[in-house]
Amino acid sequence: MNAPGPSSLTQARIDDTGDAGTPPARERGLKALSTWARQPGFLLSLPALAVFIAGFIGPLALVVLYSVMPARSFGVDNLPTLENFVTIFQDSYYLSFAWSIGLALATTVILMLICWPVAYGLSRVFRRSMILTLLLVLPLFVSENVRLFGWVLTLLNHGILDGSLRTLFGWEVPELLYNVPVTILGMVYVYLPFMLFPMALGVSMIPESCREAAFDMGATRSQVFREVEIPLAMPGILIGALLTFVLVLGSISEAKILGGQSVIMIAHDIETAFTYAQNWPLGSALSTLLILLTGVLVIGLLSKLNLDKLLSRK
Amino acid sequence: MSKFNVNRRDFLKGMGMAAGAAAVPGTLWSNPGWAASADRARELNILVWEGYNSPNVLDPFRTSFDTKVSAQNVISDPDAVNKLRAGETKVWDLVNLNNPWAREMLYPEGLIKPLDQDRFRPYFDRMLEEFKWPYKWAMSLDQKELLGMTQRFGPLSFVVNTDKISRATAEDQGFNLFMDPAMKGRYGMLTWANWNIYHMCITAGFTPFKEHTEAEFKEFEKVARYLFKNAKLLSDDHLMMNQALITGSIDAYFTGGTYSCSIARMDGFSNVRGITPKSGPINGKGGIVWIEVTSVVNNPQLSPRAEDFLEYVQRPDVSKQVAFAEGSHNPVTQLGMKEVRDAFSKEELDAIQYDSLEWELEHCADYDVNPDYDRMLEIYTQARREA
Repeated sequence: MNAPGPSSLTQARIDDTGDAGTPPARERGLKALSTWARQPGFLLSLPALAVFIAGFIGPLALVVLYSVMPARSFGVDNLPTLENFVTIFQDSYYLSFAWSIGLALATTVILMLICWPVAYGLSRVFRRSMILTLLLVLPLFVSENVRLFGWVLTLLNHGILDGSLRTLFGWEVPELLYNVPVTILGMVYVYLPFMLFPMALGVSMIPESCREAAFDMGATRSQVFREVEIPLAMPGILIGALLTFVLVLGSISEAKILGGQSVIMIAHDIETAFTYAQNWPLGSALSTLLILLTGVLVIGLLSKLNLDKLLSRK
Repeated sequence: MSKFNVNRRDFLKGMGMAAGAAAVPGTLWSNPGWAASADRARELNILVWEGYNSPNVLDPFRTSFDTKVSAQNVISDPDAVNKLRAGETKVWDLVNLNNPWAREMLYPEGLIKPLDQDRFRPYFDRMLEEFKWPYKWAMSLDQKELLGMTQRFGPLSFVVNTDKISRATAEDQGFNLFMDPAMKGRYGMLTWANWNIYHMCITAGFTPFKEHTEAEFKEFEKVARYLFKNAKLLSDDHLMMNQALITGSIDAYFTGGTYSCSIARMDGFSNVRGITPKSGPINGKGGIVWIEVTSVVNNPQLSPRAEDFLEYVQRPDVSKQVAFAEGSHNPVTQLGMKEVRDAFSKEELDAIQYDSLEWELEHCADYDVNPDYDRMLEIYTQARREA
């Protein structure tokens, strides 16, 4: 058995006391903190900080707190429990998570493919044409639900598309609504600008000289695309993908309005828990898991990006 | 030299203080709860189902009583009850919910207060026969206190396109219509979960308004899974469901009635019809009728305009406005008065299916509480997710 030597705790106490004649480390730390807290910068930031804590951190903390409250309780003064998470993992909520993640992935990939040529055109060919940009931005000023109902009227039986084809050519269009593909169509349509504009920013970061140099050195069109353009535009592509993925993950209207609830998204389950079930803790636990999933993705991806570089176009 | 020696710092400090002082009262008064200390005689906060918040109903009251009326839509009965339980009795003056809540929960829990019977009893004499004094759902459990006033009501079972399924067939088959293999992919489900659960119980062959056995839960799950699996579309929007019915995407929808289809009927689609089954498991009845009861909240600083509003909506002209509020048209208990009936056109009476109203009421059980709602909702949401 080893005899105990001077323990780390004792050592810490020695460090903490410091040499005779100098103030202890704790006191020095407090003094530094107090000096820092009296800095005008910190004081001036206090109102904004208070708003941030009350309006952003506060609600999130409340959601997390509710998630560990007993099922169907309406206060946060009960003993914490993990029963809501157990219910989620034992029940079939994984299906809603799987559908949400699957549709978010599908939409993101489809939007990448659609937006690349458009972003390229916006940045290189049309040189950020005001009319084209306006055409792409204007739908954002119309409510998402209104736009989706526009699609419903278009794709409905005897709607604009079916009615026109019947009248003009006598063709009957099969039922286009209330399925998964039309849900994805709605998502692609609604979230297109969120992929397009970051991607266009990414494309505009590719110096023309780099492409020319690559061609001069004998690179093929495909090599320039894979080894020059994609890597240089990657920050924009990643931000667009992240925005799209996260927004689709929490979406609900497309699956409800166009898809006729042919799939149940996780946001729908959260809504049911908060409304019909009046089970706020279960809804909060589902929300917490969704926030966690989103947080991991955002932090993981943003750690690989240099936002300053992207936004300043250095 | 200037008399006021103000530097930039003092100016900013003064502006900050002024902004703070201006913002605080603004924030306080904008909250209905804090506003309680203001002149309550000139304001009224009501928590109501869609329709009572219509400008056609509220604006004349605002003008004649010189009162600021704030109305919030109820999302579901339990949601509104929980708001009051969570302390919002300080906020609201009136609450309008479906029939069982006032007598079975709100009053026993001290969330609403009784009405002055001398003032309100005479109005019951003018209502339709089924709602005359002492009307069960307006009274306390001991039948001594008057807890609220009734107005809108309506049978709610299911809706069909009578061009595809005749009214007689639908009434004869009742909810079994949806279990017919021939109906696979031909019907929609209006996903109002609480109502769906009631109707699934009836489809499974037992009343929703009792405690259920394990065998009944199993049967309920079987019905829920079958219905979700074979539905063509699901939506919580009754207008979308009517649209699908009119365009031929579906021939019927599960859960619906006058409340959900009257707008389409008013638009001329009289082939869209709410159906009440001829028979069923609730003491022989297969349909359910909801009745709204509007009660005075037990607010410590109640607006004196609360009872005035209850009286105001009983007026024949206002009753018509309540019945024909935008979003949904419904029968009202005041149809017992000739002048109210006369105010409706032939098309309007047809929209609310007035021709069959009496027959439907005879074949409907009153909406009530399902003691197994929570467990059935879990089964329901799981079945919907896994369909």
